[in-house]
Amino acid sequence: MEAVTKYSETELVMLLKQRQQTAFSYLYENYSGALYGIILNIISDNELANDVLQEVFVKVWRQISTYDETKGRLYTWMLNIARNASIDTLRSKGFQNNKQNRELTENVYESAGSTQMQVDKIGLRKIVHQLKEEHKVLIELSYFQGFTQEEISKMLDLPLGTVKTRLRTALIQLRQFIK
Amino acid sequence: MDIKAYIESGVIESYVLGIADAKEAAALEQMIAQYPEIKQAVSAFEASLEKTALENAVQAPAQVKEKLFAGLQNEFATEVPVAKFVQMQPRSTNWLKYVAAASVILLISSSALNVYYFNQFNEVSNKYAALLNDKNGLEASLNIYKTKTLDIYNSMQLMSDPTMIKVSMPGVKGKEENLATVFWDKKTKDVYLLANKLPQTPSDKQYQLWAIVDGKPVDAGLLDNCNGLCKLKNIPNAQMFAITLEKKGGSAIPTKEQMYVAGAVSAS
Repeated sequence: MEAVTKYSETELVMLLKQRQQTAFSYLYENYSGALYGIILNIISDNELANDVLQEVFVKVWRQISTYDETKGRLYTWMLNIARNASIDTLRSKGFQNNKQNRELTENVYESAGSTQMQVDKIGLRKIVHQLKEEHKVLIELSYFQGFTQEEISKMLDLPLGTVKTRLRTALIQLRQFIK
Repeated sequence: MDIKAYIESGVIESYVLGIADAKEAAALEQMIAQYPEIKQAVSAFEASLEKTALENAVQAPAQVKEKLFAGLQNEFATEVPVAKFVQMQPRSTNWLKYVAAASVILLISSSALNVYYFNQFNEVSNKYAALLNDKNGLEASLNIYKTKTLDIYNSMQLMSDPTMIKVSMPGVKGKEENLATVFWDKKTKDVYLLANKLPQTPSDKQYQLWAIVDGKPVDAGLLDNCNGLCKLKNIPNAQMFAITLEKKGGSAIPTKEQMYVAGAVSAS
Protein backbone atom coordinates (compact mmCIF):
# COMPACT_ATOMS: atom_id res chain seq x y z
CA MET A 1 0.00 0.00 0.00
CA GLU A 2 3.01 2.35 0.37
CA ALA A 3 3.17 3.20 -3.34
CA VAL A 4 -0.50 4.29 -3.36
CA THR A 5 0.64 7.64 -1.97
CA LYS A 6 2.04 8.41 -5.40
CA TYR A 7 -1.35 8.92 -7.08
CA SER A 8 -4.80 9.34 -5.65
CA GLU A 9 -7.38 7.13 -7.36
CA THR A 10 -8.93 10.21 -9.03
CA GLU A 11 -5.55 11.35 -10.36
CA LEU A 12 -4.74 7.87 -11.58
CA VAL A 13 -8.04 7.54 -13.46
CA MET A 14 -7.60 11.00 -14.99
CA LEU A 15 -4.07 10.18 -16.18
CA LEU A 16 -5.24 6.83 -17.56
CA LYS A 17 -7.97 8.59 -19.51
CA GLN A 18 -5.22 10.87 -20.88
CA ARG A 19 -3.45 7.71 -22.15
CA GLN A 20 -0.39 8.18 -19.92
CA GLN A 21 1.95 5.20 -19.96
CA THR A 22 3.44 6.10 -16.55
CA ALA A 23 -0.02 5.94 -14.97
CA PHE A 24 -0.75 2.61 -16.62
CA SER A 25 2.59 1.26 -15.45
CA TYR A 26 1.76 2.43 -11.93
CA LEU A 27 -1.65 0.76 -12.16
CA TYR A 28 -0.03 -2.49 -13.26
CA GLU A 29 2.59 -2.43 -10.52
CA ASN A 30 -0.05 -1.82 -7.86
CA TYR A 31 -2.89 -4.04 -8.98
CA SER A 32 -1.54 -6.83 -11.18
CA GLY A 33 -0.72 -8.98 -8.13
CA ALA A 34 -4.21 -8.61 -6.65
CA LEU A 35 -5.88 -9.32 -9.99
CA TYR A 36 -3.51 -12.18 -10.79
CA GLY A 37 -4.55 -13.67 -7.46
CA ILE A 38 -8.24 -13.68 -8.39
CA ILE A 39 -7.46 -15.00 -11.88
CA LEU A 40 -5.48 -17.89 -10.40
CA ASN A 41 -8.41 -18.56 -8.09
CA ILE A 42 -10.50 -19.29 -11.15
CA ILE A 43 -7.94 -20.62 -13.67
CA SER A 44 -5.54 -23.20 -12.42
CA ASP A 45 -3.39 -23.23 -15.56
CA ASN A 46 -0.62 -20.66 -15.03
CA GLU A 47 0.01 -20.05 -18.74
CA LEU A 48 -3.67 -19.45 -19.32
CA ALA A 49 -3.81 -17.22 -16.22
CA ASN A 50 -0.93 -15.13 -17.61
CA ASP A 51 -2.82 -14.63 -20.86
CA VAL A 52 -5.95 -13.66 -18.94
CA LEU A 53 -4.02 -11.15 -16.81
CA GLN A 54 -2.67 -9.53 -19.96
CA GLU A 55 -6.15 -9.52 -21.51
CA VAL A 56 -7.61 -7.95 -18.35
CA PHE A 57 -5.12 -5.06 -18.39
CA VAL A 58 -5.72 -4.50 -22.10
CA LYS A 59 -9.45 -4.27 -21.36
CA VAL A 60 -8.84 -1.91 -18.41
CA TRP A 61 -6.67 0.28 -20.64
CA ARG A 62 -9.09 0.36 -23.54
CA GLN A 63 -12.28 0.67 -21.49
CA ILE A 64 -11.11 3.15 -18.86
CA SER A 65 -13.34 5.82 -20.41
CA THR A 66 -16.39 3.72 -19.43
CA TYR A 67 -15.32 3.57 -15.78
CA ASP A 68 -17.63 5.69 -13.61
CA GLU A 69 -16.05 6.71 -10.29
CA THR A 70 -19.44 7.39 -8.71
CA LYS A 71 -20.44 3.72 -9.15
CA GLY A 72 -17.55 2.31 -7.16
CA ARG A 73 -13.82 1.93 -6.67
CA LEU A 74 -11.42 1.39 -9.53
CA TYR A 75 -10.30 -1.91 -8.02
CA THR A 76 -13.90 -3.18 -7.83
CA TRP A 77 -14.34 -2.34 -11.51
CA MET A 78 -11.09 -4.08 -12.45
CA LEU A 79 -11.89 -7.05 -10.23
CA ASN A 80 -15.16 -7.58 -12.08
CA ILE A 81 -13.33 -7.40 -15.42
CA ALA A 82 -10.79 -9.95 -14.17
CA ARG A 83 -13.46 -12.28 -12.80
CA ASN A 84 -15.58 -12.14 -15.94
CA ALA A 85 -12.56 -12.63 -18.22
CA SER A 86 -11.42 -15.61 -16.14
CA ILE A 87 -14.84 -17.24 -16.14
CA ASP A 88 -15.16 -16.67 -19.91
CA THR A 89 -11.76 -18.30 -20.45
CA LEU A 90 -12.62 -21.14 -18.14
CA ARG A 91 -15.79 -21.82 -20.12
CA SER A 92 -14.16 -21.51 -23.55
CA LYS A 93 -11.21 -23.77 -22.76
CA GLY A 94 -12.75 -27.21 -22.70
CA PHE A 95 -15.27 -26.62 -19.94
CA GLN A 96 -18.13 -25.78 -22.24
CA ASN A 97 -19.98 -29.04 -22.14
CA ASN A 98 -22.27 -29.84 -19.33
CA LYS A 99 -20.64 -33.10 -18.37
CA GLN A 100 -17.33 -31.48 -17.72
CA ASN A 101 -18.99 -28.65 -15.86
CA ARG A 102 -20.73 -31.13 -13.65
CA GLU A 103 -17.50 -33.00 -13.03
CA LEU A 104 -15.80 -29.76 -12.10
CA THR A 105 -18.70 -28.86 -9.86
CA GLU A 106 -18.41 -32.21 -8.15
CA ASN A 107 -14.70 -31.60 -7.74
CA VAL A 108 -15.37 -28.25 -6.21
CA TYR A 109 -18.04 -29.66 -4.05
CA GLU A 110 -15.77 -32.38 -2.83
CA SER A 111 -12.80 -29.98 -2.61
CA ALA A 112 -10.70 -32.73 -4.10
CA GLY A 113 -7.76 -32.80 -6.54
CA SER A 114 -4.25 -31.36 -6.33
CA THR A 115 -4.94 -28.38 -8.65
CA GLN A 116 -7.92 -27.39 -6.57
CA MET A 117 -5.81 -27.55 -3.46
CA GLN A 118 -3.24 -25.25 -4.95
CA VAL A 119 -5.87 -22.74 -6.06
CA ASP A 120 -7.36 -22.81 -2.58
CA LYS A 121 -4.11 -21.66 -1.04
CA ILE A 122 -4.13 -18.16 -2.52
CA GLY A 123 -6.22 -15.03 -2.60
CA LEU A 124 -9.91 -14.82 -1.93
CA ARG A 125 -10.38 -18.52 -2.38
CA LYS A 126 -8.10 -19.20 0.53
CA ILE A 127 -10.52 -17.18 2.66
CA VAL A 128 -13.55 -18.86 1.14
CA HIS A 129 -11.99 -22.20 1.89
CA GLN A 130 -12.29 -21.43 5.58
CA LEU A 131 -16.10 -21.24 5.33
CA LYS A 132 -18.47 -24.02 6.21
CA GLU A 133 -18.92 -26.52 3.40
CA GLU A 134 -22.51 -25.57 2.51
CA HIS A 135 -21.51 -21.90 2.26
CA LYS A 136 -18.25 -22.53 0.49
CA VAL A 137 -19.95 -24.39 -2.35
CA LEU A 138 -22.33 -21.55 -3.05
CA ILE A 139 -19.53 -18.98 -3.30
CA GLU A 140 -17.47 -21.34 -5.42
CA LEU A 141 -20.25 -21.83 -7.91
CA SER A 142 -21.54 -18.29 -8.01
CA TYR A 143 -18.38 -16.27 -7.61
CA PHE A 144 -15.56 -18.41 -8.98
CA GLN A 145 -17.52 -20.20 -11.68
CA GLY A 146 -20.11 -17.57 -12.49
CA PHE A 147 -23.24 -19.67 -12.30
CA THR A 148 -26.49 -17.87 -11.68
CA GLN A 149 -28.54 -18.61 -8.60
CA GLU A 150 -31.11 -20.43 -10.78
CA GLU A 151 -28.41 -22.61 -12.28
CA ILE A 152 -27.03 -23.41 -8.82
CA SER A 153 -30.53 -24.23 -7.62
CA LYS A 154 -30.85 -26.84 -10.38
CA MET A 155 -27.30 -28.14 -9.99
CA LEU A 156 -27.60 -28.69 -6.26
CA ASP A 157 -31.28 -29.62 -6.42
CA LEU A 158 -32.11 -26.94 -3.85
CA PRO A 159 -35.01 -24.47 -3.89
CA LEU A 160 -33.99 -21.04 -5.27
CA GLY A 161 -35.01 -19.38 -1.97
CA THR A 162 -32.65 -21.65 -0.06
CA VAL A 163 -29.81 -20.86 -2.49
CA LYS A 164 -30.38 -17.12 -2.03
CA THR A 165 -30.52 -17.34 1.75
CA ARG A 166 -27.48 -19.59 2.02
CA LEU A 167 -25.48 -17.46 -0.41
CA ARG A 168 -26.20 -14.35 1.63
CA THR A 169 -25.24 -16.10 4.82
CA ALA A 170 -22.06 -17.26 3.11
CA LEU A 171 -21.26 -13.69 2.06
CA ILE A 172 -21.89 -12.35 5.58
CA GLN A 173 -19.46 -14.92 6.91
CA LEU A 174 -16.95 -14.15 4.16
CA ARG A 175 -17.13 -10.53 5.20
CA GLN A 176 -16.08 -11.42 8.70
CA PHE A 177 -12.88 -12.93 7.26
CA ILE A 178 -12.25 -10.00 4.96
CA LYS A 179 -12.60 -7.44 7.74
CA MET B 1 -36.92 0.15 6.91
CA ASP B 2 -34.21 -1.36 9.05
CA ILE B 3 -31.08 -0.05 7.37
CA LYS B 4 -28.76 -1.91 9.68
CA ALA B 5 -30.45 -5.24 8.96
CA TYR B 6 -30.34 -4.49 5.23
CA ILE B 7 -26.64 -3.69 5.37
CA GLU B 8 -25.98 -6.94 7.21
CA SER B 9 -28.16 -9.06 4.90
CA GLY B 10 -25.30 -9.90 2.51
CA VAL B 11 -26.89 -7.94 -0.35
CA ILE B 12 -23.99 -5.45 -0.44
CA GLU B 13 -21.34 -8.19 -0.72
CA SER B 14 -23.38 -9.91 -3.40
CA TYR B 15 -23.56 -6.62 -5.32
CA VAL B 16 -19.90 -5.68 -5.00
CA LEU B 17 -18.66 -9.15 -5.93
CA GLY B 18 -20.91 -9.15 -9.00
CA ILE B 19 -22.96 -12.16 -7.89
CA ALA B 20 -26.24 -10.23 -7.60
CA ASP B 21 -28.53 -10.53 -10.56
CA ALA B 22 -29.65 -7.46 -12.51
CA LYS B 23 -32.85 -7.05 -10.46
CA GLU B 24 -31.02 -7.21 -7.13
CA ALA B 25 -28.31 -4.85 -8.38
CA ALA B 26 -30.86 -2.28 -9.54
CA ALA B 27 -32.66 -2.45 -6.18
CA LEU B 28 -29.41 -1.89 -4.30
CA GLU B 29 -28.38 1.03 -6.52
CA GLN B 30 -31.67 2.68 -5.65
CA MET B 31 -30.97 2.10 -1.95
CA ILE B 32 -27.45 3.55 -2.31
CA ALA B 33 -28.89 6.71 -3.85
CA GLN B 34 -31.43 6.95 -1.06
CA TYR B 35 -29.43 6.02 2.06
CA PRO B 36 -25.96 7.42 2.68
CA GLU B 37 -25.34 4.68 5.28
CA ILE B 38 -25.80 2.03 2.59
CA LYS B 39 -23.53 3.90 0.23
CA GLN B 40 -20.95 4.07 3.00
CA ALA B 41 -21.32 0.36 3.70
CA VAL B 42 -20.77 -0.45 0.03
CA SER B 43 -17.63 1.74 -0.04
CA ALA B 44 -16.37 0.11 3.15
CA PHE B 45 -16.77 -3.41 1.73
CA GLU B 46 -15.09 -2.35 -1.51
CA ALA B 47 -12.16 -0.93 0.46
CA SER B 48 -11.75 -4.03 2.61
CA LEU B 49 -12.02 -6.28 -0.44
CA GLU B 50 -9.29 -4.27 -2.15
CA LYS B 51 -7.14 -4.32 0.96
CA THR B 52 -7.49 -8.10 1.30
CA ALA B 53 -6.75 -8.59 -2.38
CA LEU B 54 -3.62 -6.45 -2.18
CA GLU B 55 -2.48 -8.32 0.90
CA ASN B 56 -3.02 -11.61 -0.91
CA ALA B 57 -1.46 -10.44 -4.16
CA VAL B 58 0.44 -12.97 -6.26
CA GLN B 59 3.39 -11.64 -8.24
CA ALA B 60 2.73 -12.19 -11.94
CA PRO B 61 5.66 -13.27 -14.18
CA ALA B 62 7.62 -10.33 -15.61
CA GLN B 63 6.98 -11.35 -19.21
CA VAL B 64 3.25 -10.60 -18.76
CA LYS B 65 4.02 -6.90 -18.24
CA GLU B 66 6.54 -6.91 -21.08
CA LYS B 67 4.07 -8.46 -23.52
CA LEU B 68 1.27 -6.19 -22.30
CA PHE B 69 3.25 -2.97 -22.76
CA ALA B 70 4.75 -4.09 -26.06
CA GLY B 71 1.21 -4.76 -27.33
CA LEU B 72 -0.08 -1.37 -26.23
CA GLN B 73 2.97 0.62 -27.33
CA ASN B 74 1.06 2.47 -30.06
CA GLU B 75 -1.80 3.39 -27.74
CA PHE B 76 0.11 5.39 -25.14
CA ALA B 77 0.13 9.17 -25.32
CA THR B 78 3.47 9.83 -26.97
CA GLU B 79 5.43 12.79 -25.66
CA VAL B 80 8.52 12.52 -27.86
CA PRO B 81 6.76 12.69 -31.22
CA VAL B 82 4.71 15.59 -29.84
CA ALA B 83 7.96 17.46 -29.16
CA LYS B 84 9.17 16.58 -32.66
CA PHE B 85 5.90 17.75 -34.09
CA VAL B 86 6.16 21.03 -32.19
CA GLN B 87 9.65 21.41 -33.63
CA MET B 88 8.51 20.75 -37.15
CA GLN B 89 5.41 22.85 -36.97
CA PRO B 90 7.09 26.29 -37.11
CA ARG B 91 9.11 25.11 -40.09
CA SER B 92 6.02 24.13 -42.02
CA THR B 93 4.11 27.26 -40.96
CA ASN B 94 7.10 29.39 -41.94
CA TRP B 95 7.15 27.75 -45.32
CA LEU B 96 3.44 28.40 -45.69
CA LYS B 97 3.89 31.95 -44.46
CA TYR B 98 6.48 32.57 -47.15
CA VAL B 99 4.27 31.07 -49.80
CA ALA B 100 1.32 33.14 -48.58
CA ALA B 101 3.43 36.30 -48.44
CA ALA B 102 4.82 35.61 -51.91
CA SER B 103 1.28 35.04 -53.23
CA VAL B 104 0.07 38.31 -51.73
CA ILE B 105 3.07 40.18 -53.18
CA LEU B 106 2.48 38.59 -56.58
CA LEU B 107 -1.19 39.46 -56.44
CA ILE B 108 -0.50 43.09 -55.52
CA SER B 109 2.24 43.36 -58.16
CA SER B 110 0.01 41.82 -60.76
CA SER B 111 -2.89 44.13 -59.84
CA ALA B 112 -0.58 47.16 -59.96
CA LEU B 113 0.72 46.05 -63.36
CA ASN B 114 -2.84 45.57 -64.55
CA VAL B 115 -3.73 49.13 -63.54
CA TYR B 116 -0.49 50.43 -65.07
CA TYR B 117 -1.01 48.59 -68.35
CA PHE B 118 -4.65 49.58 -68.50
CA ASN B 119 -3.69 53.24 -68.09
CA GLN B 120 -0.98 52.81 -70.72
CA PHE B 121 -3.50 51.18 -73.03
CA ASN B 122 -6.00 54.02 -72.55
CA GLU B 123 -3.30 56.63 -73.17
CA VAL B 124 -2.06 54.90 -76.29
CA SER B 125 -5.64 54.43 -77.54
CA ASN B 126 -6.32 58.13 -77.11
CA LYS B 127 -3.03 59.03 -78.80
CA TYR B 128 -3.82 56.65 -81.63
CA ALA B 129 -7.26 58.22 -82.12
CA ALA B 130 -5.67 61.67 -82.13
CA LEU B 131 -3.05 60.58 -84.65
CA LEU B 132 -5.72 59.01 -86.85
CA ASN B 133 -7.60 62.32 -86.71
CA ASP B 134 -4.44 64.26 -87.55
CA LYS B 135 -3.68 61.91 -90.41
CA ASN B 136 -7.18 62.35 -91.83
CA GLY B 137 -6.85 66.12 -91.47
CA LEU B 138 -3.48 66.09 -93.18
CA GLU B 139 -4.79 63.89 -95.96
CA ALA B 140 -7.70 66.29 -96.49
CA SER B 141 -5.29 69.26 -96.50
CA LEU B 142 -3.04 67.42 -98.87
CA ASN B 143 -5.91 66.86 -101.25
CA ILE B 144 -6.79 70.55 -101.06
CA TYR B 145 -3.17 71.46 -101.82
CA LYS B 146 -3.04 68.89 -104.60
CA THR B 147 -6.14 70.46 -106.17
CA LYS B 148 -4.73 73.96 -105.68
CA THR B 149 -1.38 72.93 -107.09
CA LEU B 150 -3.08 71.41 -110.13
CA ASP B 151 -5.20 74.57 -110.58
CA ILE B 152 -2.10 76.74 -110.30
CA TYR B 153 -0.25 74.52 -112.75
CA ASN B 154 -3.13 74.80 -115.20
CA SER B 155 -3.23 78.56 -114.62
CA MET B 156 0.51 78.76 -115.35
CA GLN B 157 -0.04 76.82 -118.55
CA LEU B 158 -2.77 79.26 -119.55
CA MET B 159 -0.76 82.36 -118.59
CA SER B 160 2.28 81.20 -120.46
CA ASP B 161 0.24 80.46 -123.58
CA PRO B 162 1.42 82.87 -126.38
CA THR B 163 -2.17 83.49 -127.52
CA MET B 164 -3.05 84.95 -124.07
CA ILE B 165 -3.34 88.73 -123.70
CA LYS B 166 -2.50 89.99 -120.24
CA VAL B 167 -4.52 92.95 -119.00
CA SER B 168 -3.20 94.36 -115.76
CA MET B 169 -5.83 96.19 -113.63
CA PRO B 170 -4.31 98.32 -110.86
CA GLY B 171 -6.41 99.91 -108.12
CA VAL B 172 -8.43 102.96 -108.98
CA LYS B 173 -7.99 106.23 -107.17
CA GLY B 174 -8.41 105.72 -103.44
CA LYS B 175 -7.96 101.93 -103.84
CA GLU B 176 -4.40 101.94 -105.24
CA GLU B 177 -3.24 98.99 -103.14
CA ASN B 178 -5.55 96.62 -105.08
CA LEU B 179 -4.59 94.61 -108.13
CA ALA B 180 -6.18 92.09 -110.51
CA THR B 181 -5.13 90.66 -113.85
CA VAL B 182 -7.24 89.52 -116.82
CA PHE B 183 -5.91 86.87 -119.20
CA TRP B 184 -7.82 86.95 -122.46
CA ASP B 185 -7.45 84.23 -125.05
CA LYS B 186 -7.23 85.84 -128.43
CA LYS B 187 -8.36 82.70 -130.24
CA THR B 188 -11.24 81.46 -128.06
CA LYS B 189 -12.05 84.88 -126.55
CA ASP B 190 -12.35 83.26 -123.09
CA VAL B 191 -11.60 85.57 -120.18
CA TYR B 192 -9.66 84.41 -117.10
CA LEU B 193 -9.20 86.50 -113.97
CA LEU B 194 -6.42 86.45 -111.41
CA ALA B 195 -7.38 88.29 -108.24
CA ASN B 196 -3.91 89.36 -107.18
CA LYS B 197 -5.00 91.60 -104.37
CA LEU B 198 -8.66 92.33 -103.56
CA PRO B 199 -10.24 92.89 -100.14
CA GLN B 200 -12.37 90.11 -98.63
CA THR B 201 -15.99 90.54 -99.75
CA PRO B 202 -18.86 90.84 -97.26
CA SER B 203 -21.06 87.74 -97.35
CA ASP B 204 -23.86 89.53 -99.28
CA LYS B 205 -21.52 90.99 -101.91
CA GLN B 206 -19.54 89.62 -104.84
CA TYR B 207 -16.96 91.02 -107.30
CA GLN B 208 -18.12 91.39 -110.85
CA LEU B 209 -15.91 91.79 -113.93
CA TRP B 210 -16.96 94.21 -116.62
CA ALA B 211 -15.72 94.47 -120.19
CA ILE B 212 -15.88 97.96 -121.58
CA VAL B 213 -16.93 97.55 -125.19
CA ASP B 214 -17.13 100.81 -127.14
CA GLY B 215 -17.61 102.79 -123.92
CA LYS B 216 -20.34 100.53 -122.55
CA PRO B 217 -19.94 98.03 -119.69
CA VAL B 218 -20.72 94.42 -120.52
CA ASP B 219 -21.03 91.75 -117.80
CA ALA B 220 -18.00 89.49 -117.96
CA GLY B 221 -18.87 87.24 -115.06
CA LEU B 222 -18.87 86.93 -111.25
CA LEU B 223 -15.81 86.14 -109.24
CA ASP B 224 -16.24 82.93 -107.24
CA ASN B 225 -13.84 81.28 -104.86
CA CYS B 226 -11.42 79.71 -107.25
CA ASN B 227 -7.76 78.83 -107.23
CA GLY B 228 -5.47 80.77 -109.47
CA LEU B 229 -7.19 81.74 -112.63
CA CYS B 230 -10.97 81.90 -112.61
CA LYS B 231 -12.56 81.23 -115.90
CA LEU B 232 -15.25 83.84 -116.59
CA LYS B 233 -17.34 84.70 -119.64
CA ASN B 234 -16.45 84.73 -123.32
CA ILE B 235 -15.86 88.33 -124.43
CA PRO B 236 -15.35 88.73 -128.21
CA ASN B 237 -14.30 92.37 -128.06
CA ALA B 238 -13.25 94.87 -125.38
CA GLN B 239 -11.03 97.90 -124.84
CA MET B 240 -11.00 97.86 -121.05
CA PHE B 241 -11.74 95.67 -118.08
CA ALA B 242 -12.89 96.74 -114.61
CA ILE B 243 -14.10 95.11 -111.35
CA THR B 244 -16.84 96.47 -109.11
CA LEU B 245 -18.28 95.15 -105.87
CA GLU B 246 -21.91 94.24 -106.46
CA LYS B 247 -24.72 92.55 -104.61
CA LYS B 248 -24.55 88.75 -104.61
CA GLY B 249 -25.54 87.30 -107.96
CA GLY B 250 -24.32 90.40 -109.84
CA SER B 251 -25.92 93.48 -111.35
CA ALA B 252 -26.95 94.51 -114.87
CA ILE B 253 -25.26 97.88 -114.56
CA PRO B 254 -22.03 98.38 -112.64
CA THR B 255 -22.03 100.50 -109.52
CA LYS B 256 -19.29 102.95 -110.52
CA GLU B 257 -18.68 104.14 -106.94
CA GLN B 258 -17.76 100.63 -106.04
CA MET B 259 -15.08 100.17 -108.68
CA TYR B 260 -11.90 98.63 -107.33
CA VAL B 261 -9.61 98.01 -110.21
CA ALA B 262 -9.57 98.81 -113.94
CA GLY B 263 -7.14 98.38 -116.82
CA ALA B 264 -7.05 98.99 -120.57
CA VAL B 265 -6.30 96.32 -123.12
CA SER B 266 -3.02 97.26 -124.73
CA ALA B 267 -2.97 97.15 -128.47
CA SER B 268 -0.87 94.31 -129.81
